[in-house]
Order: sequence, then C-alpha cells, then structure tokens
Amino acid sequence: MERLDRGLLLGLALTGLLVAAAARLEMAERPRLDKIHEEELLYYPSGFAVRQAALGYETAAADIAWLRGIQYYGEHRLTDQKYELIGHVMDVVTELDPAFQEPYVFGAFVMAQELKQPERGLELLERGIRANPTNWRLCFEAGFLHYVCRHDYATAAQFFTWASRMPGHDPFVDRFAAFAHERAGDRGVAILLWKQVLATGNSYMQDVARHELGRLGEP
Amino acid sequence: MSRERDDSRGKQPWSAEVQGRGVMREVAPLPVLEVNAVAKVYRDPMTLKPFTAVEGISLSLGGGEIFGLLGPNGAGKTTTIKMILGLTRPTRGTIRIWGREPGDRAARMRLGYLPENPCFYDHLSAREYLGLVGSLFDLASGTARRRADELLKRLGLEADARKPLRKFSKGMTQRLGICQALLNEPDILILDEPMSGLDPIGRADMKQILREERARGATVLMSSHVLAETETLCDRVAILHRGRVLEMGDVRGLLGAGVIEWEITVDAISETAAARLRGEGHRVDGAGRGWVVRVGESEELQEVLRGFTKDGVSIHSVEPRRPSLEEHFVRTIQESGAGSP
Amino acid sequence: MNRVLAIARNTIREAVRERLVLVLGLFGFALLIGSQALSPLALGEGRKVVIDFGLAGSMLLATLLAVFLGSSLLHKELERRTVYAILAKPIRREEFILGKFLGLWVTTAALLAAMAVILALVVTVSYGETPWSILGPVGLSVMELGIVTAVVVLFSSFTTPALTAFFGICAVVVGHFAEDLRYFASRGAPPLARAITETVYWTLPHLSVFNARGLAVHGIPVEPARMIFALTYGMLYIAALMIFAGTVFRRREFR
Repeated sequence: MERLDRGLLLGLALTGLLVAAAARLEMAERPRLDKIHEEELLYYPSGFAVRQAALGYETAAADIAWLRGIQYYGEHRLTDQKYELIGHVMDVVTELDPAFQEPYVFGAFVMAQELKQPERGLELLERGIRANPTNWRLCFEAGFLHYVCRHDYATAAQFFTWASRMPGHDPFVDRFAAFAHERAGDRGVAILLWKQVLATGNSYMQDVARHELGRLGEP
Repeated sequence: MSRERDDSRGKQPWSAEVQGRGVMREVAPLPVLEVNAVAKVYRDPMTLKPFTAVEGISLSLGGGEIFGLLGPNGAGKTTTIKMILGLTRPTRGTIRIWGREPGDRAARMRLGYLPENPCFYDHLSAREYLGLVGSLFDLASGTARRRADELLKRLGLEADARKPLRKFSKGMTQRLGICQALLNEPDILILDEPMSGLDPIGRADMKQILREERARGATVLMSSHVLAETETLCDRVAILHRGRVLEMGDVRGLLGAGVIEWEITVDAISETAAARLRGEGHRVDGAGRGWVVRVGESEELQEVLRGFTKDGVSIHSVEPRRPSLEEHFVRTIQESGAGSP
Repeated sequence: MNRVLAIARNTIREAVRERLVLVLGLFGFALLIGSQALSPLALGEGRKVVIDFGLAGSMLLATLLAVFLGSSLLHKELERRTVYAILAKPIRREEFILGKFLGLWVTTAALLAAMAVILALVVTVSYGETPWSILGPVGLSVMELGIVTAVVVLFSSFTTPALTAFFGICAVVVGHFAEDLRYFASRGAPPLARAITETVYWTLPHLSVFNARGLAVHGIPVEPARMIFALTYGMLYIAALMIFAGTVFRRREFR
C-alpha cells in the first residue's frame, strides 16, 4: 500500500511537470503559432472545396468560417489594421451558405472602407444579389458603397431604387431612393447614409460610422 | 397441425439396437423428431480444409420419452442440436419436427430450447425476459405473466424476479433458462447441458421437472457430457463420439440389469450421523446443504432410509446406480478408438 | 408484427440502459450551452450560429450513435450467444433484424428529437421567437438517420463491429458526396469510368436530399412536395436495405 501511494504521487507529479513544460513551451511559441493559425485562413481552399468537405453541414461550416473571420478582423483592428484575408474568408462563408446575408454586407464594407477596394466589395455584393435576388438589403448596401466610396451617385440611385422595389424593404430605403435621385453629391445624403449604418449595422460598422460622421462634421 | 398429444404418450417408445453406424428403424406413428443421416461439414474459411463435426447421425423420437445425447466435448452434440433448431443447416440429410422443417414456425411454437451455458439479455429482469419470450410466442400478456410467475416460483426464482439478469449467478441463469424453455408449454424440449451450473439440489429439481414433462407427454432431448446423472433420467440414449453415433438404445438394454449401489440425496445430516454412516461402510459426500449418501446393498438401503426418517432428515431423492453409463461409455470409446482410422 | 415490436422494444430498452446514449445526450446538451456562449462573438448572428450548430451537432451525434451502437448491436448478441435462445423461438430471421433496426432507429431519432426540442427552447428563451422552421429539417434528418441505421444493421448482420462502423461512416460520407461524385465523373472521365460512376451514383442513397438544415436558419419552410418526395425515397431505400439484410441474415449459420 505504501509503495502504491508513493508511485501514484510520483506519477501525478511527473504528469503535472510535463504538462507545465508543454504549456510553457507553447506560451513562448505563441506569436509564431498565431501567425500560423491565421495563415490557415489562406488555406481555406475555395468555398467550393470546403463545401465538399462539409458533407451536409455547410451552414454550420459557414458559421465557423464566419466566426473565424470576425476574430481575424477584431484582432487586426487592435494591432495593424490590415485585413487582406477578409475577402477570401467572406467568399468561403458565402459559398458555403449563399443565403447568409451578413458576410456580404460586412465583407463588402470592410473591403471598401478599410482596404480602400470598393470594387472588390461591390463584386462580393453583386454575387450576393445574384444568389438572393429578392434581398433588398444587399441592393441597398451596394448603393451605399457606390455613393460614399465611389461617389457614383447615379449608380447608387439605381441600386436604391431597385431595393425600394423589393418586397419587405424598410421604409428608409424609399427615402434614400428619392434623395439620391434629387440630390446627387449632397453631403447631407452622405450623413444620412452613415446615420443609417449607425442604426442598423453591427458594432464594428457602427464604430466606423461614428468616425465618418465625425469627419463629416456631425457630432 | 393438431395440438392433441401423440397417442404413444405413456407407452414405452420402441427402441432400436445399433451396431456401429447403421440404424434399424421400425415403422411407427409420426415421430416427433426425425433426424435422418445428417452430416455437418465445416470448411475453414482460410485453408478451405473440411472439418466434419457430425457424420451420419440418425435418430427418431416419439412423445413421452427422455432421450439423452451423450458424449465427450466436441462429439457433435451441440452441432446436432443446432441443426435441429435451424440455427445451422445440415450439409447432408434431413431433419423433421412433426414432419416439418426445422425453421418452421408452427413447429417452433411447440418447442422449448435451453442453450448450453445460456446467456440472456442481462439488461432485463427475469420477469421482463420472460415477457419478451411470451410475446415471441404470441401469448397474451396476462397468460404470459401468469405462466412466468408460476415457473419462476417452481424454479425458486420468485424472489429474484425483478433483479436484472446480470446479477444472476450461473445456477440462477440456468434455472431461468428452463423457465423460458417451458413458457410455451412445449411438446418437445431440447436441452443442451441442462445440468451445468446447478448444485445437487438444483440438479435433482431439474430431473424432477423433466420427469414431470415426460409424464405430460412431452418429448425431451437432452445432451450431456456428465453421464452419471443422466443415466437415471433418460429412457434412451445415443452415445456420440467424434461426430458419429457409437451406440443407441435404451439405457437398461445398453447396460444390462443389476444395481451396484443406491444414491440418496438429502438436505443435511449431522456430522455424527455422517461419521456413523461412514463407519457402516457407506460413502458420504457433501457439506452444508445437499448431501449424497451411497449405500451398497438394497437391504442396507431400507436401514438407512428408516434411520433418516427417524432422525427427521429430509430426503430429496433415491436413485439406483447401475454399472455406470460412464464406465460403459469410456469402454465403448476406447474400443471405437482402436478401430477408427 | 408483434414479434418485430417485441424485439424493437427490447432493443430500445437495451440502448437506453447503455451508457453511450447518456454520454451523447450530455454532449448534445453541452453543445447547445456552448453555442450559446459563442453567440456574442458572432456579431449579431448569434441566433443563426446557435441554430446551425444545434442542428448540425444533434444530427452528428445521432448519426454517431447510430453507427457505434448499431455496429455492436448484433455482434454483442452473437458473441454472448443471447441470440441463440431467441432465434430458436417462432420468430423469423427477417423479423428479428427488422426489430433490431426499428429499435435502433427509434432510439437515435428520439435523441435527435430531444435535442431539437432543447434547441428550440434555448432559441426561444434567448431570442424571443420559437424557430418553428426547424421542424421540417428535423423530420428529414430523422429519415436520413433511418437510412444510415439501415446500412449499419445490414453490415452488422455479417461483419465485425469495426468494419460495420467503417462502412456506416463511409455511407454517410459517400451519401453526401454522391452529387459531386457524378459531377467529377462527368468531367472528362473515360466512358467506362463514367458508366460505373453513374451506376454507383444511382444505387447509393443521396443523403443530400434530406439536408434542409440550411433552410431552417433562414426561416424558409420545407416545401410539402419535397417532404413527400424525401420521405418516399427514404422509405423505399430503407425497405430495400432491410430486405437485403433479412436475406443475408437468413442464410447465416451459427457455429
């Protein structure tokens, strides 16, 4: 009995030591591991291939990719504000779940605002519109990008009008359709658009909206 | 198929004398069980080498008899039984139960089976298991429950009826086995090593039950490798060895007449009584509950029995021991061994 | 039919008293709680995440239960020889196998349904509205479970638990892959390969037919026409598999 107890204690102590050593090792390697973890996002092959691997759990897989994408954005927001992979990740998410609206909106937003690549953002949105022809929000967001990023007021007006023709759209869409036609180029419209983002966007988008409104002179 | 009992109930079934492998059968009313020149050859799946488990076995059983299928381990008893039950198909030969194929549903409705070293669903209780068996026989649940309770009581398992079977000892499982075999009030009982796992009291009880079944007109086919205890039970036996029938016939015929000694099974006797009996030259074995006293001469038997009655000792059974079947069997095997290729 | 139900009832009893069911049930519960924890990270899409993970997780667990419980189902009986006493009774081999299948299907479907109920409760409590749209997809998933269970029972009637589990998982993978198999084959494969692939494609169960989980979270109800088609297709497939299993089991010898 004596020998058993000592053996047991020794075994537990050794296990504890080894686990602590492994943890310490990992802590030292953390920065490099984090970079690798992120590079994994690159290794998401095209959405089509992930779809095959998902084996019937595509929407859940889309959610996992979405969560990873959010995490990626959040981390880089706090560090270097570089979001190169966001387009790729949102591509994967939307390939897996084409009806998932938020990735189109958020992805396009980040690419246009942060990466200063509104064309890529619009490409994503247009893919979303093709997959969801009756989704007014995507049309509206496309109009938004054309207005504030590309300053293409005519196209923006067109998108706002399309959105206003779709079933179930929110009332503000009609107002913007009207404004955009009447007052192409008006700073007032831009402010109203940003205020709309403040009202309806997710927390990241709201932050950007506040910043932009400040820039435009609105409190 | 009529449910009435076979007419030959109670009458001594005809017997056949066997020399080596040949069987002489007399013409008789439709036998209950007919096994005709049945063989089972297994092939090793890897080497394709054939292995003969059973070769040319023929039997015929009528109603109201207890037939023993005897032989050492590996003789082919269980294989034969499995073929009778339809668990395996014979390579050659035919088997008929009341003229029907082994898998026939109507035949199985009247059949009771106790496997060797039985194992039952251990997540169920005894009563639940018997309930399951009852539904397999299409018994109304009330009937099944009533019969189950009766059988559990008869086999001394009443107190354990609700216990899960995984908590059952080997003896208890064996007794449950006979319960599930009797649940449908079968006309033919097939028992593979029914005595295994039972203590002497249990074995005596089992023998009593089988005798009662025979009196009811049922046919009992039992296999055993313990020849001594089946000797007194079976009307006819077949001795198997290496898949063949060496001898078949009624026990007395095979062994000849004459009693060597008497075996008395009793509940308990005091140490002084045991010592006294030993002093008189009798063999006394046992401890606690379940003693066996062996008395040589018939006259002494009366003495001893009177003594027990006077002492108030509870006597379970008294059985004659003839020139033992075991001795006969060993001799037969040795003889056949010398002659076989 | 009574006999089949008796075996089915017994199989359910056995499964329920088996620890595996409890463990998987707990896992399922943990999953639902866990996905709740993830929802704040999902940037407003918490409801979608909970429903997606809930549906995917419960289906995955139920499938795993079907594969692992089913793979040992018959093997345990054969090893412990419990099946001898049963098959000597007036029950046909096919009835026995069918009873086993039904018992296993009911058990796994019950696990799936229970988790779906918990999911609906969690979503209702956390997000205010009850996700009725999961009913259709769960129904289809039950059918999918039926096919997987039938495959597992078929294999367990003649091969080892390990192989049965392997083939069961293969069936799930290939069942979902079937469409893409055909697509890849049609792209420039030699005619013989294409013919073989076509044949294989049509004989395999197309499990994607039963996958409506994506609809649930977007609140799109499953069309009745699709439900009817899927249920019919599933029943036909299950019947085919069970007949085959019965035939195989009938020929089986017990040494």
